[in-house]
Amino acid sequence: MAKDAVGYALSALNKMAGSNVLDKIGLRKLVERIAYTLTRTGFQVITTTARTFKSTQKLDKPQRLNAPGYTTDLFDLNITDEQQMIRDSVKSFASEVLRVSAEKADSGHATSAETLAAAQELGLNYFAVPETLGGAAAERSDVTTMLVAEDLAWGDMGQAIAILAPMSVANALTRWGSAEQQAKYLPAFTSENPPAATIAVAEPRVLFDPMQLHTTAVKQGDSWVLNGSKSLVPVAAEAELFLVAAQTDNGPAVFIIEGGTEGLVCGDDPGMGVRAAAMRPLTLTNVKVPAANKLGVDDFDYRAFIDLGTIAWCALAVGTCQAVLEYVIPYCNERIAFGEPISHRQAVAFMIADMAIELDGMRLLTWRAASRAEQGKSFQREAHLARTLVKEKAMKIGTDGVQLLGGHGFTHEYPVERWYRDLRIIAVAFGGLHL
Amino acid sequence: MKVLVPIKRVVDYNVKVRVKADNSGVDLANVKMAMNPFCEIAVEEAVRLKEKGVVTEIIAVTIGNKAAQEQLRTAMALGADRSILVETEEDAQPLAIAKALKALVDKESPDLVILGKQAIDGDNSQTGQMLAALAGMPQGTFASEVNVADGKVKVTREIDGGLQTVELSLPAVVTTDLRLNEPRYASLPNIMKAKKKPLEVISAADLGVSFASSTKTLKVEPPAERSAGIKVASVAELVEKLKNEAKVI
Repeated sequence: MAKDAVGYALSALNKMAGSNVLDKIGLRKLVERIAYTLTRTGFQVITTTARTFKSTQKLDKPQRLNAPGYTTDLFDLNITDEQQMIRDSVKSFASEVLRVSAEKADSGHATSAETLAAAQELGLNYFAVPETLGGAAAERSDVTTMLVAEDLAWGDMGQAIAILAPMSVANALTRWGSAEQQAKYLPAFTSENPPAATIAVAEPRVLFDPMQLHTTAVKQGDSWVLNGSKSLVPVAAEAELFLVAAQTDNGPAVFIIEGGTEGLVCGDDPGMGVRAAAMRPLTLTNVKVPAANKLGVDDFDYRAFIDLGTIAWCALAVGTCQAVLEYVIPYCNERIAFGEPISHRQAVAFMIADMAIELDGMRLLTWRAASRAEQGKSFQREAHLARTLVKEKAMKIGTDGVQLLGGHGFTHEYPVERWYRDLRIIAVAFGGLHL
Repeated sequence: MKVLVPIKRVVDYNVKVRVKADNSGVDLANVKMAMNPFCEIAVEEAVRLKEKGVVTEIIAVTIGNKAAQEQLRTAMALGADRSILVETEEDAQPLAIAKALKALVDKESPDLVILGKQAIDGDNSQTGQMLAALAGMPQGTFASEVNVADGKVKVTREIDGGLQTVELSLPAVVTTDLRLNEPRYASLPNIMKAKKKPLEVISAADLGVSFASSTKTLKVEPPAERSAGIKVASVAELVEKLKNEAKVI
């Protein structure tokens, strides 16, 4: 009611204030002031209310809501205490060994024997081989392996690939290998001198599709005969054991081929990045392997084999992007131009903010894919969402890392140019790695 | 032979520490914590002695809050067999820690206690020495080499301008210097195994000690910021400034 009365009065007053008559009788100022004052104060009375609030119970202390308890449900992104310890250990290795030797490994196109020996201290292979075969793995650990890949690549992606390639082969053998294959090949991986091993999937042709391979495997009596060529095979020259993907009459399959097999020749085709991984093309000319060397029995899932490799590549990219982000933040805060740190320029600050947001997006997609894979759920969709985002944004982060350092970024003196070159691999890589 | 390795949870050495706004201490909110690097060296030395067959059991121990369990797990991942946490919320000072460790020495009767020479947070370098005095054990501090044989331990100590080698009869206290060894990385399988190793949690009351401090921190301040340098136009000016302003020549 109060509102209506005040409202009508004001509306009348406003009408009067707008009238020309006021000027004639010299009352405009007065009326305008009244209208102004009333408008200001008139509505102040109308928010009063008839409700009275009463305490219905006595509280000893304020009530707050707790965070939900720890669960291991699908979308729980906490890592366990052990995983954190593993990350800490891998990260110290990455910063004290990989970071230090990264430049030399890059220019020398190889990961040094010392680095590989030091990496053995981490016992990565034990983690991929079941307890009964001399390893330490009691359960599937796709998420942990992904975290290891991420942190190694934070140190240096090229060397990380060289270190992870044998573990990838061991993981694939543990996951799908037949009893005979496991008994024959896995124990070597936990020996004093583990074999260099690698996976060959990619082929040197346009629009490569890992589901439609040009490398062929034909059954001839008790053997398979493989022909074709592969590209981007990490540590191909040193590898003593290969997992090679090839097309059979029943679709793609993977074959275990020992190094030195007749007809298996690796070429030389250095890439722009991840040089420490010593990726080389591999040619197979009438390579003959026993029938028993086709990976797995009937339960081999080629699609999952490829997708687990995809997640591993995503994890590597996330790690290197993290390195870029951690490098540009202090740089831009300390680099002075025009009398202030360049991070005060929004063009710079927004670029870094975008990096952080995109990186977390990449990481969450990758973690989710690995988490589903570990739980035995379907993860093809998740792996491909991760790959699609990563191959776009990882390269952008690499480019922006160079750009933010300006002229410095372009030189060998700073690591961002190497990270930029390394990150380019993400969009073209298939195989080599496996969770 | 039994070895006791006391360790400390400190701010990770890579972290750039910041002083709290009210100067009451170092800001520990969301700061990465880790095992004191000298303690890592102590654990590593104990593990190496075990690998040589000299030592049969390694017990890692720490005094601190619940979170310090993480560092005990790390010690066990590096090779300690079991660990003890003396849980307290107090900010324990070296003397109180040494008294608690003395109580643990009485309880466990180790043949050797290996500690870091100092923790990188307080930089006191007192605990090992105090423990040796309280327990009536000989001490070899700032060790760069440790050899155990025939009920004795030979310790090479880093002293100003040289090395000193002392021989101590066991049981003894050894504190480690930086060059004693290079700690290994905890391997993935050992990290998983550490989960299954026993971790005992006891209170100060269980040991009959108190961590109430007799020292009070009045103020913590960051180091003064370095002022910017100046440019001189000539060698003559430089010499003049070094002579009259800096007074170094």
